[in-house]
Amino acid sequence: MLTQVLVQLVVVVTLMIAVSVALFVGRRRLQVTCTEWRTRLRATAPVLAVLTVVLLFNSIARQIVPDLSWMIGWNLTWAIYDIEGQFILWLQSFETPAVTAYFSFIYIYGYVFALTFPVVAYFALADTRPLRELLAAYTLNYTLGLVLYVFVIAFGPRNMMPELVEALLYDTYPQYQHLTRQVNRNTNVFPSLHASLATTVTLLAYRTRDRYPTWFYVTLGLGTSIALSTMYLGIHWAIDVLAGLGLAYISVSLARVLVDRWSVSAWIASIRGRDADDDREMDSSSDHT
Amino acid sequence: MLAASVGLSVSTSGCLQHVRSIVNRNEVEQLSLTITTLSADGDRESIQLAQDISATLETAGIDIEIDMQSREAFRRSVLINHDFDIYVGRHPGDIRPDFLYETLHSKFADESGWQNPFGFTNLTFDTYLDRQQRAGGEEREQAVSQTLEALALEQPFVPICVPHEFRLARTDRFDGWEQGHLATRMGYLGLDPPTTEEAVLRAVHTDSRPSQNLNPLAVEFRNRGLITGLLYDSLAVPRWSEGGADAGGSDEETDGIEEDDDRTYTSWLGTDWTWNGNGNENENENETGDERTENGSSTDTDTDPDIELNPDADLEPTGTLTVTLREDCQFHDGHELTADDVAFTIDFLSDTTRDDSEFPAPSPRYRGHVDPIADVVKQGTYELEFTCTASEPVAKRILEIPILPAHIWDERTETASIPAITVADGTTEALITDNLPPIGSGPFQFENRTEREFVTLERFDEHFTRRESVALPEPSAETLRIRIDPRSTSAIELVETDDADVTSLALESYVVDDVLAAESEREQTSDADPLEVIESSTGSFYHLGFNARTAPFSNPRFRRVIARLIDKEQLVSDVFYGHARPIAAPVTREWTPDSLAWTGTDPETPFLGTDGELDVEAARAAFEEAGFRYDDEGRLRVRY
Repeated sequence: MLTQVLVQLVVVVTLMIAVSVALFVGRRRLQVTCTEWRTRLRATAPVLAVLTVVLLFNSIARQIVPDLSWMIGWNLTWAIYDIEGQFILWLQSFETPAVTAYFSFIYIYGYVFALTFPVVAYFALADTRPLRELLAAYTLNYTLGLVLYVFVIAFGPRNMMPELVEALLYDTYPQYQHLTRQVNRNTNVFPSLHASLATTVTLLAYRTRDRYPTWFYVTLGLGTSIALSTMYLGIHWAIDVLAGLGLAYISVSLARVLVDRWSVSAWIASIRGRDADDDREMDSSSDHT
Repeated sequence: MLAASVGLSVSTSGCLQHVRSIVNRNEVEQLSLTITTLSADGDRESIQLAQDISATLETAGIDIEIDMQSREAFRRSVLINHDFDIYVGRHPGDIRPDFLYETLHSKFADESGWQNPFGFTNLTFDTYLDRQQRAGGEEREQAVSQTLEALALEQPFVPICVPHEFRLARTDRFDGWEQGHLATRMGYLGLDPPTTEEAVLRAVHTDSRPSQNLNPLAVEFRNRGLITGLLYDSLAVPRWSEGGADAGGSDEETDGIEEDDDRTYTSWLGTDWTWNGNGNENENENETGDERTENGSSTDTDTDPDIELNPDADLEPTGTLTVTLREDCQFHDGHELTADDVAFTIDFLSDTTRDDSEFPAPSPRYRGHVDPIADVVKQGTYELEFTCTASEPVAKRILEIPILPAHIWDERTETASIPAITVADGTTEALITDNLPPIGSGPFQFENRTEREFVTLERFDEHFTRRESVALPEPSAETLRIRIDPRSTSAIELVETDDADVTSLALESYVVDDVLAAESEREQTSDADPLEVIESSTGSFYHLGFNARTAPFSNPRFRRVIARLIDKEQLVSDVFYGHARPIAAPVTREWTPDSLAWTGTDPETPFLGTDGELDVEAARAAFEEAGFRYDDEGRLRVRY
């Protein structure tokens, strides 16, 4: 069941990326990429390595985080419910099968597409900075998100008001339960990583709108849909989504500051230089003794 | 001058005293309480009940907060740390009413586990419970009725309803699902075809806890102990008498050694047991409690004048239970199972420190089962004699405990320790170990697991049910694969798409109507889809528990008014879609006294309102009559 859903996901998202590449990236950029991919990859490799490590760590940490949270975290479910009350109910009052189908598609496929396509699109740019900022911002989202998950225990609306907020995704399409529970734990809803990562993509799309003007408008619609879908499907509270927006803003700003602050190649060169100095010093000191 | 200052100090001290006596009075505040319950993923019905109840209590002027927790965290808060005001949840219950003893007796108020989580202490009530514990025969029924009536009066917890359990099974690979109750080990034994080589029985379980912990004593991780029941044997298997469901399986004939007249238990690890009442051939007529009823009139159940309030009375033994074990049984690691292991288990459950520590640490599960056993004497490798302080039916509960291998659990008596952290007294290794891999003697042995994904059990070929000479239901599948899937809807889909054979936990109420509709559709179209919906009765019930250790929940009048704010009939239709039985007494139908039978409304604490709609004036009047006050804004005020 899980493999079936996964294969379906991979196929659909690959198709979406292929179409988008044709639409937004264009043949010329691809041709240049074919010749320059080695240098671009070398330039992004350090950030990519950090992101990989963080994602691996995240997948392990998520097993531990709930237990840790029950020991040291605050249970904020009631506080959130008390503040925003009936917003989710209002949102769900617009429920129709077509809307549910749309938002379910967006929540699963739209989200994965929104995260993967910019990686491809920015890789096709001669300037690697947008790609490095994107990967750095993803890394920050996951890292800061994990810290918040440790300290905040919060159940989503579907867990709080099961009879009022229908868990539309899982009851309409039970097969997705198998997919989402691989990555999500039910006490980790604050902040919404769906919202924060989608917003991250939108914010960066805004910054690169001179190169991908249409993509920016697509992300506006897609990002909004993803944020709405998490609430419409009863998975996140509005407060989680707002926190997600904040997290995205912080991550993008930090990524902007941090990227290019340290250069790994320069660092390696400096180590080599220092080593050479040390050797020389050692040589000279041995002369004296 | 001096006189003036003296006069001044005298007058100020008088004034201060006046101020002090005003200021030192505690504020009478609005009653604000927290309902502890589970999230919808943990128990959908619990949070719905809590939501409905909190809405009603708010109309009655109480400030409510709901504290939602995960399955383990909920049980830890309520059962171990007693850190709650009110909780709503499911009690494992039992098919016989004897569990009320440990649930409500004040001597268990300080322990952790299902034994008196309410901290309810009442000497009169203790006397009823003691009498229920020791009475036999007809007097036993009377004593049970008396306890239940007192419970309805005191409301230490509010019993809400007994849900009907529905499960979905496929009949094309295995059949015979209705032979044993699917909440017990018997449901997974004796399936057709009888012995299938390399066959895999695929269960889908909507609770991930068995993949994390398989300790039969860990109360946070166990519901009714289905999977640990497959791994560990008990001495006997209780038979279900209600609703035709029989935990003993359709195989009424056991291996012929068992007493013919024992209609309550089927032999299992124990082949034979005999009860010897003290000093008389007819034990049931010869108990201390019996004389009392003869003195008092037998119809007098409510206020027995002869009940003595003497909590310190030393309990005289009522009789002995001699149990013979099946020979040549072994644990999954090859160690032989003998009377030593049985004696060890009983001793260990009553104190997991085994007297090493000053602070005894009884097991949070099976407490009531071992409590009436005063002494255990081994009479050879396969025979034991238990000296009991309870009547025969109560003493026989000891036959239900899981038999633990002494050579493994003997090493788990130490207090668990983590460097630099103070561990609560009585937290022995035995209570917190995840017990992986579990070594029992049951029909299935542990193979492997992946947390939150699956648990795989293998048939234990040395199990006695596999012997030619034993005619008990045996494991037919070679492998039992328990797949964890958190929601009923996806569990149903797995069974429908032939990825699973049975849903091992009951389906959530909100999907039951769909499942039943699908079944009747299959019947009408004579669809060949090999699916079957299995309905079973249960002793498990939903309830609202009070923490009677603190005010105002310690006040029975307050508890009674709260009970009257709960419309059980309405909750059954709103939350359970009618698939539950509203109750006033937390026992099966056959044990419910006529006075507490459901009559469309609660016979003792009827709802103050109609059709779920609270009559606010009546509720206020009830609180005021109970001695509480309201302020101008309609808020209920209490002194904590």
